[in-house]
Amino acid sequence: MWRRDPFPPPRRRGGTRARPRVDTGVDPGEMDETVEFVAAPDPMQRTNISKPSGPSFSGRNRRDGWVLVFPALLLILAMGVYPLLYSLFLAFHQWDLQTPATPFIGLDNFRAALNDDRLWSALKNTWVIVIVGICFEFIIGLGLALLLVDLPRLKRFVVPIFILPVMMVPIVVGLTWRMLWDNQYGAINHVLRMIFGDGLNIIWLGQTNTAIIAMIITQIWQWTPFMFVVLLAAISAVSPDLYEAAALDGANFWNTLKDITLPSIRHIIAVAILFRGLDAFKIFDLVYIFTQGSPGTTTETASWYIYRLGFQFFRMGYASAISYLILIMLSIVATIYVAAFIREGGKA
Amino acid sequence: MSREPGHWDKEAFAKLVQSRIDRRALIKGTAGAAAGAFVAPPLFNAFTPSAVSAAQRALQETQDSAEAAVAAAQQFSGSTLNVVWEDALQLEDQINFSGPMWEELTGITINPIGRPFPELFSSQVAEHIGQTGAYDVLSVVPAWTADFLAQGMLEPLQPFIDQYMNVADLDDYHPLYREMMNFGGQIYALFDDGDTIILYYRKDLFEDPANMEEFEAANGFPLAVPTTWDQYEAIQAYFTEKGGGETWGGASQRAPGQVYGWFSEEFRNRGGHFFNEETMDATLDSEAGMTTLSAMLERNKTMPTGVETWGFVEVLSAWMAGTLAMVGGTWPPYGRWSEGTTVEQLNWVPETQVAGKVGYSIMPLGHSLHNAGFNLGISTNSPNKEAAYLYSQWLTSPSISLQRVMLPYALRDPYRISHYESEEYRARWGNANEYLDTLRAAADTCLLDIVMPGSNEYHVALDNLVTAAQGGASVEEALAQGTTAFNEITDRIGRESQTEAYQQFIALKGAYYE
Repeated sequence: MWRRDPFPPPRRRGGTRARPRVDTGVDPGEMDETVEFVAAPDPMQRTNISKPSGPSFSGRNRRDGWVLVFPALLLILAMGVYPLLYSLFLAFHQWDLQTPATPFIGLDNFRAALNDDRLWSALKNTWVIVIVGICFEFIIGLGLALLLVDLPRLKRFVVPIFILPVMMVPIVVGLTWRMLWDNQYGAINHVLRMIFGDGLNIIWLGQTNTAIIAMIITQIWQWTPFMFVVLLAAISAVSPDLYEAAALDGANFWNTLKDITLPSIRHIIAVAILFRGLDAFKIFDLVYIFTQGSPGTTTETASWYIYRLGFQFFRMGYASAISYLILIMLSIVATIYVAAFIREGGKA
Repeated sequence: MSREPGHWDKEAFAKLVQSRIDRRALIKGTAGAAAGAFVAPPLFNAFTPSAVSAAQRALQETQDSAEAAVAAAQQFSGSTLNVVWEDALQLEDQINFSGPMWEELTGITINPIGRPFPELFSSQVAEHIGQTGAYDVLSVVPAWTADFLAQGMLEPLQPFIDQYMNVADLDDYHPLYREMMNFGGQIYALFDDGDTIILYYRKDLFEDPANMEEFEAANGFPLAVPTTWDQYEAIQAYFTEKGGGETWGGASQRAPGQVYGWFSEEFRNRGGHFFNEETMDATLDSEAGMTTLSAMLERNKTMPTGVETWGFVEVLSAWMAGTLAMVGGTWPPYGRWSEGTTVEQLNWVPETQVAGKVGYSIMPLGHSLHNAGFNLGISTNSPNKEAAYLYSQWLTSPSISLQRVMLPYALRDPYRISHYESEEYRARWGNANEYLDTLRAAADTCLLDIVMPGSNEYHVALDNLVTAAQGGASVEEALAQGTTAFNEITDRIGRESQTEAYQQFIALKGAYYE
């Protein structure tokens, strides 16, 4: 924001305004372009300007900054920090629908969570979906990026289409794919029957294993474009000189991929996988639409289980404790991951 | 405490509620808390004199609770009532019929707030806990009453009834539904939806001479409406084989979230009990449980492939398309819609191929399940309790409720004697009288959902055990999981209190039939 300089330099006779030059020790003749270094005027040397009264310029600047930031800060405190702290409070208390009182119970909720087989099953399901999904998203995304990186005209046309799934609301994706997975009228079984015969009738969303596969494939469909866009940008930024030099040395596609492309973009890959992994861990909408955690509780994910505990059964204390345990777990995993893959040699 | 079938010990229940209140007060005193919300709320007594007089005058002149409600509600003209309701088709009643009519009569605006059924319980509880005052009129599945009362969500209604209602209207409720309004000796809600499950079958197929001869020759007993599950299974298998993959003998809802009712009904019809009365240990893995779950899985084999994912809409579509000989139990709207739907709200319902061909029956083994249903309660957080009560009274009054259960797009099902006996309703289609008589007979002998604290969790546990078995777990494994889940819920809520609550449940007509 433009601000009028309250301390303009003194006018020189002759009408021209000149600023004092400072000797920086650089010979202008040795520089590619002329650079004029001008020191800021020292307000204390201006004897014909009196210092204004009231708050200092920097103090007023700070106050104005707080005024601008305060509404957003209030929102973050109200919507983020307060719920976070209150849920931590709940985690140490018994809070459920049938018990009017909310007694302090220490670590009981945490102990119960660590011994909860259903939670471990949900975590296992979640990690399977995350790891398998991300592996395929990365491989397919990388493949698409490598295909299109050298086709700028096609890229311009294809990329906006490819990223459409990412822009779709997850619940819409879930509802649409649920129809595709329908065993009787869904397109997927229809195509499979065309290939394998009319006898095939996979009840995708009615069996544990096939339901998990359906969720993974749906996730891959929606989120591969994210990986594709990130990797495409990363590969595009690799210097073409490296590829030219490699070509001169007789390197083939795999050599350049293994020794130039992947090493050059490894940090971008690591960040993309981290972001995608943390996002994928929260998977909820597909569980809600596809199976509601069934058959039994075999397709429950961590988010779904917490939702069920907290918002269907109103066991808020226990749900909060599980949430914090998962937060701790993910923090540890992310910290180790960052140290291993993102920081170079352990340094930032 | 008497446990004779048909007798409900209200005094004992009242003592139970009082003992829980005292225990709560002790806990609260010990904890230093003093939230009055968990103690039974004081009876409302701040009635508006002009409203009461208007209602009393109307009752003297007409004895009509609807007229009385309108006359009294006009004193609150200009206000708005927030009414939480099941979303989608159920909400059409509020949007297109009841809401506009009430506003025209009284000047009170109805703001219907729809919530999908799976979220109805949690949204109402959450709003109450948050003290938002978001809802005036609550939609309360009777099985939720204990949990709602534990949070102090429901206003006792007797004082309102004393001031505003022609109490003879209470006798017009079917006795089953009348009981569902009570808890611990207090009326906490007005009943509004008779969701008794019945069996639907194709009379034309059952009465076809060729089918009858063929079936009897193959099975050794005549083709007739099944009275046992073995007969049902045989009939279903017969028609499925005959259909060659294009039509089937029957279908039932098996999708997660809905299937628990079918297990609950058959399990108790076969003599099963949810708990051991002495120890309060769950007894789902009894012989009745094994037989029920095994039979359900066996019947799935002669239902359409993929029935494990079929819910209300899938079964309805197959039935309306004429591809099912039976529907193994579902809600009353099937009966009406089978005869044709002409309104825009039901344009998603497939065109009926079965009009004039449908017969109705109580479920095999003689006891249908009353699955869900709705009471209308008044939120203790409502700033408009009187107006909210008057709207509920008007909605459930004999004259208005009859119109509502006959709406062409209605999902509200008959629940008053006057509904079942209505000449207009009985003349709606060829055998509408049979339909209403069957619903009434089913209500006479029906089974209730579990009515105890934690009922929502118990029902989810039942749902999980059925879907686990459908998903590949062995029957023993699935029942063991369900039993464990039940015991965990009981232990967490408290064995002692749940034992008492269970005693009260089994004293209700409709808990079990021995």
